[in-house]
Formats: sequence, structure tokens, C-alpha cells
Amino acid sequence: MVSLTDVDRDHLREVAYEIRRLTVEMVTWGQWGHLGGSFSMAEILAVLYFQAMRVDPERPGWDGRDRLILSKAHASPGLYAAMAVRGYFPIDAIYSYTALGGMLEGHTDMTRTPGLEASGGPLGMGLSVAVGRALGLRYRGDPRARVYCILGDGECNEGNVWEAAMAASHYHLDNLIAIVDYNKVMAKGPVWRLMSIEPFEDKWRAFGWDVIEADGHDLDELVGAFHRARWVLPRGKPIVVIAHTVKGRGVEMAEFNPAWHTHAPDPATADMMLRELARSAGRDEVGYSRLHMAVSEESFYGGE
Amino acid sequence: MASRSAAVGDLRDAFADALVELGHERQDVIVLDADLNTSSKTVKFMEAFPDRFIQVGIAEQNLFGIGAGLAMEGYVPFPSTFAVFAARRALDQIAISIAYPGLDVKIAGSYAGLPTSRAGASHNSVEDIAIFRSLPNMRVADAGDGAELRSVIRVAVQTAGPVYFRVARLEVPDLVAHELPFEWGRGHVLLDGSDVTLFGTGIMSGLCLRAAEILRRDGIHPRVVHLASIKPIDEELVRSSALQTGCAVTAENASVVGGFGAAVLEAMGVNAVPVERIGVRDRWVDSGPTESLFAEHGMRSSDIAAAARRVMDARDGRALGTGSSARRSVALTGGEQPSATDFDDPGGRPV
Repeated sequence: MVSLTDVDRDHLREVAYEIRRLTVEMVTWGQWGHLGGSFSMAEILAVLYFQAMRVDPERPGWDGRDRLILSKAHASPGLYAAMAVRGYFPIDAIYSYTALGGMLEGHTDMTRTPGLEASGGPLGMGLSVAVGRALGLRYRGDPRARVYCILGDGECNEGNVWEAAMAASHYHLDNLIAIVDYNKVMAKGPVWRLMSIEPFEDKWRAFGWDVIEADGHDLDELVGAFHRARWVLPRGKPIVVIAHTVKGRGVEMAEFNPAWHTHAPDPATADMMLRELARSAGRDEVGYSRLHMAVSEESFYGGE
Repeated sequence: MASRSAAVGDLRDAFADALVELGHERQDVIVLDADLNTSSKTVKFMEAFPDRFIQVGIAEQNLFGIGAGLAMEGYVPFPSTFAVFAARRALDQIAISIAYPGLDVKIAGSYAGLPTSRAGASHNSVEDIAIFRSLPNMRVADAGDGAELRSVIRVAVQTAGPVYFRVARLEVPDLVAHELPFEWGRGHVLLDGSDVTLFGTGIMSGLCLRAAEILRRDGIHPRVVHLASIKPIDEELVRSSALQTGCAVTAENASVVGGFGAAVLEAMGVNAVPVERIGVRDRWVDSGPTESLFAEHGMRSSDIAAAARRVMDARDGRALGTGSSARRSVALTGGEQPSATDFDDPGGRPV
């Protein structure tokens, strides 16, 4: 088992904080976006980009890199934040989120954003693309690179997910690691009420996958899970990390709250959120924010 | 110029043989199938290159997602299924995973249009042209004979970005004695004439040539223009032919709603002349022998010839009656319904 040093843990915690903070900036500045599903995967993204994945932001197209496909592409602010912090593009670029002609689309567009590995939006599609990439890596004879794919829990209502899951085990894609951000809440309510996915672990096992469950906000557990997925489990099967998370994690009013699935905060609420995030991270200041530079209060309303 | 040779071939064989040929030349070509390989004939590629043939089972959405992923890794995938399943079942995957990022995926839509044996509406792909031509980045082609289909596939591989091409389940004679080199946005004048233009795509161009024979017996000299490249379309040739002949008929093995005929009309723009569109007229297709279906939907060569006479009348102020206003009218339907009993060979043999 790997264990994190205190220094590494602090760093990852810092990254997760930045991911949430920049998500608030982005969704507020752009007046559109998905905050809850970005918050729930902040630790997952921090561990992937700074610990688990072999990537080089200086060479986003490097052949040997690990690939990450965000199938729940509406949670793009979280991903963009992680990529900005990792150095794929300047932090300032987040303020082009959803801007006409900007480099950060509302839903992912791989042709605009350096380092982005797929385009998406409609749910259920990303795992198929990941299967294709995993097969492609096998054709290329690359035994090292991994394909990571982040799915939402509600997304697993989509039939396409299970077509892909079936194919991944049929083709023994042990270079494919799926992660389910199991945050328990979909757009309009709890997953268990709208369309239950349980027994979830059994489903993946029945489809021929190895399953690792983890607390998706516990950095040590995530690091251990991804280490096991890559280095410990026997080869021959695709692996899914079911990460138990809290939708909206980090800001109390958004936690487990479908109202913050798609919603842009007004500046006052955004400020409250930023302060709460800073407080939890043990900071006195909220950090660099452009939100006070917004043209008018008016522009902050709407954004469903 | 338009003398046709006797060579007749199943377009599916032309498709599969071209894939095998490509497979020998390029290591990056991968064929994907969703449990239809003996129907689409991609089984030939499977036998020649088992390692570069991916079976995804009955899962068309997955078929195209995997295709996207392979293209991202630098391969040139040919996901193949029936045209209906590409256009209906997997449209979202094709749109967002493939067309939106402009990936190098070459989509083969088999069993295009009416010739599907007797499968009925669920398997008769009549809307695929309209659907795929409306996707940004997507190119659309419908070849007229086996040699041209082979050319389409070779050009598709050399073209950056997504391509959708149709493969009919039909034996068709060669359109012309020589091979038609396929080029995006370029049509071919198969037969020159000045009285009316018959614009055809896919297997319907062969029927346009037969319609021309019928018309020539009455001293009418149609121009036959074959447009395998539906998107982009040869706007210049469409406009000049329409203006020179003053009226036109379009013919497609698909629905007239939003399809090839619509693309021709769009290309004519403000210079539109009287046009009739031959194709399925906003109806679901019944089961039935292919010959009967062509008769039922008014898509035989005799129907094209009859439509040609009507648009000439409209141009000349006859029949439709009101001179200049008729000249601007664009008729959708093709007049009287033909009977299934007077079917004349559509130019191909259903197989």
C-alpha cells in the first residue's frame, strides 16, 4: 500500500480547495454551470492530476500520457479548474468559461482546450470513447498508458454505459480505469428515488469488472484505490473505482442539494461560498477573485 | 458518353472489397461491426484482418463511441451497421463523440434506402441523408456504382474528419464505362442535354440514365448529372445545369424531406427553376419486394421520365397553367401513383 506523506496530503488538499474555489469563480463569472457535480469530484481530480496519472502539461499530446475522459461532461468547471492548476493553461483562462469564442466550453470541446481528451455533454457516452481509446492503446502496443474515465452515478441510468462496460470486460481492457463519482444526487433529486442504480457494485462485478470502493473525499483512500487499480490488482479486467462522494461537498448549502446541480450563484452567494471554502481550508483570505469586477449585478441573474 | 458496360455488382461487395484493399495498404484502418458482418459483408475484412476487426455485439451506440476513441488514438475506424441504426439509434454518439470534434471516423451506412429485402420501415433508411447532412463537419456521399463506391472509400480515408457514406443492398450496373473518380463537391455530367436536368445520387443516377433513354425516344434531350458528393454538393454544376435547362428532377433512394433533392434546391437558391423531387414522400416504407417498393414510391425510371415532362411543362407554362408563377413553383409530389404491376427494372437487381 502506498501512503501519503503529510506534505503530499497537504498539497492535494490545497489542490482540491483550488478546484472548488475556481469552480465558484467560473460558474459565477460565466453565470452558468454545474457546481455540485464539480465539487463532488474535487479530491478525485486532485489525486488523478497530481498523483495517479502520468501526464505532462507541457506536452499535452505526449503519446505515452494517461488519458482522462470526463463522461459527466457537465462537471467541466471542476475539470477545467484541475487542468488550470496542473498547468495546462493559465489560471486566468477560467474566465473564458462559456464565453463566446472562449477556450472553455460549457460542455467539453476537445478542439478548444489544450489537454482535454474528449468532447462530451450528453450523458452515457464517455465510457465507450474510453473503451475505444483503450483498444487503440493496445493496438499501439503501449502497455503503460492508462485510460481513466469519470462517470456520474445518475449517468449510469444510461444504457450506453452498460454497452461499454460489457465491451470493456469482453476485451479484457485492463488499461481502463473507470471512476464513478457516486454523489447520490442527480439533476432533479436523489438517485435512489429517480432511478436507483443499486446494487451498484454487484452490477459492475456482473459485467466483469474489478471493483474498488473508496471514500471519494478521503485523499489517502483515493491514492490507495488508484494505486491498487494500477499496480496491485491482477491484470485482465477493467477496473472501476466507486468513489462515494457528496454532491456539492465543501459548501454546506449545496451539499446533497439538487438545487445546486445547475445553478449559478449571485455575487453575494458566491462570496459566501468562497469564504466558507477558505475557512474550511484554514485560510484567512479567499484568494484572487475577479468576481468584484463583474459589470453589474444584473448580469448575475438567470443561469439555469 | 454515357454508354454503360454490362458489369453488374453488389454494392456491398464493392464496399467490402475496397475495405480489404485498404487494409492491405494501411495498417491504421480498423473495421468495427455490430453483429451484421455477413449482411454488410464486412466479414471479408474480418477474414483478411481478424486483428483489425472489432466486434461490438448488438450495441450501435457503443460502436460509434469506440470508433471515436480509436480515431483519437490515430486510427481510421470504419464503424459499419445498417444506415437506420447509425442515423436513428446512434445519432447522439455520432454527433457529439465524432462530428463535434471532427474525428477521422468513416461511417458506412449499409442497406440504405428501399432495397432491404423485405424488412419494412424499421430497416428502410430514408432519413439518413437529411440527418447526416445537417451535422456540422460531416460529409455525405452516395455512390452510383461499385467502382465509384470504391473511390468514395479511398477518398474518405484521405479526407480529414468524419464521413458518412451509403451502401445499398443492391446489384447495380456500372453507371458509365469508365471509372468515375470521386471528389468532394464535384458532380459528373453523365449525359449532356438541354431540355431538362435529371440530378441523381446513389443508385438513382442509373435510373436517371434509363429515364433519359425513355425521354430521348420522344425527342427530349435531358442532361443527367450525377452527384455522389451530397455534402458538399457541386453548387456550381447544380446552378449552371438548372439555369441552362430551366427545369429539373432530383432522384434519391431516400426521403425527399431534407435529403438530396433538398440539397439541390438549396444550391439553386434564388435561381430555383421548376423542380420535382423523386424519392420517398414523407411516408413509412412497407415490407415488399424491392421492385414493388420502387413502384409504390414512384421511384422508377418511368416515374423520373414522367416528372421530367411535368417540370418541362411547368417551365413552359403548360399544364401547371400559370406561366411565370408556375416557373417558380417547386412541386413536392410526383403525380399519379404508379402501379406495382408496371415495374420497370430500376437499373439494379435486388439481391
